[in-house]
Amino acid sequence: MKTTSAQIGAVVSNQREIAWRSPRLAGLLVAAIAVVLVSRASPVFSQQPATAQAPQSTSIPDVECVIGLETFKPNTKGTLSLLPSGLEFATGKNKADITTASIQDIFTGEESRQDVSGTAGTVAKLAIPYGGGRIVSLFSHGVELLTVDYVDSNGGFHGTIFVLPPGKATELRNQLIAQGANVTTHVEPPEPKEQKP
Amino acid sequence: MNPLSRTAFWSIFSIAAGGAALLLAASLVAQPSPSGETQKLTASAIQIERIDPPEDLLVPEAFRVSTYENVIREVTKTNKFQHVYRNGDRTAADVPDLVILHMVPHAFKEGSQKKREVTTVAGSTSIKMKVQFTSRDGKVLLEKDLEGKVRFFGENLRATYDIAKKVAAVVNDTF
Repeated sequence: MKTTSAQIGAVVSNQREIAWRSPRLAGLLVAAIAVVLVSRASPVFSQQPATAQAPQSTSIPDVECVIGLETFKPNTKGTLSLLPSGLEFATGKNKADITTASIQDIFTGEESRQDVSGTAGTVAKLAIPYGGGRIVSLFSHGVELLTVDYVDSNGGFHGTIFVLPPGKATELRNQLIAQGANVTTHVEPPEPKEQKP
Repeated sequence: MNPLSRTAFWSIFSIAAGGAALLLAASLVAQPSPSGETQKLTASAIQIERIDPPEDLLVPEAFRVSTYENVIREVTKTNKFQHVYRNGDRTAADVPDLVILHMVPHAFKEGSQKKREVTTVAGSTSIKMKVQFTSRDGKVLLEKDLEGKVRFFGENLRATYDIAKKVAAVVNDTF
């Protein structure tokens, strides 16, 4: 069977047409996939604001209240909860509230705390012979400080400092801002760099 | 001992004894008598203002708040005042003999607890403040420079407790 020049020309033009169309087909395919993905993802996006608006209640145990709550001694450990009305710090017997409306400002900052600390820890470190206590002092962990400035019913200024696990203070701050707490723009000093001695 | 050396000994002894007596008398005269103490101030209430650092001195809010709260605690413990008012408390407006305590930090150094405990010579935290007691009309009643520090054991914020104790000591001496 002989192949005529006309047949060869038809085959070549078909190949060119396919080659010209294939990017368009691929583009259509990608667009179709994108439409499917967007249609599946849209309910997720639409749910997010609904969950953000829902009243949240976050409880963080083992939070240290360094100072600032009059009903608690300094360095009391308890549970810090975010309620729809604001913050609540509670121990087994006692609790104190900071309403969102009374909050003037919220600050967060990072610090490090010794793994072995307190009076007993310090005595134990001193008791280790040959300066072994210094090696124990090398072990520390990161914490985050949450400082909340608020006013009482007479307009008196109060400040409270909580020590939380890393990341939790920023999370609480953002949630309080979402509840309507006042926050100003801060110029925080650079964190002191922890240098290995 | 010959007579000459005995005379010399007694001469030297009398000069030394006389000098010692003069020094003793001078030190007794130099000591302030109890009646010569500065007159103590009196006030029924004190209002403690927030820490107000100058713009060029960055003090973390945790340190400012901790100092303010510790000073309120320690001044309250002195029992020198019927009321210790906080900054902004509207009920302090009616108190006639109110004293206002201002605290202005002029130096701050944040150290590291780990460095302190490991090296024992580095990593101290210190805060220096001008503490000023004024009357309601702004008249300065007393002004002092104080320093709070933590040199070895304790967290950085303990420097604020140290300075609060010193403020309370000034209150005890002044009121």
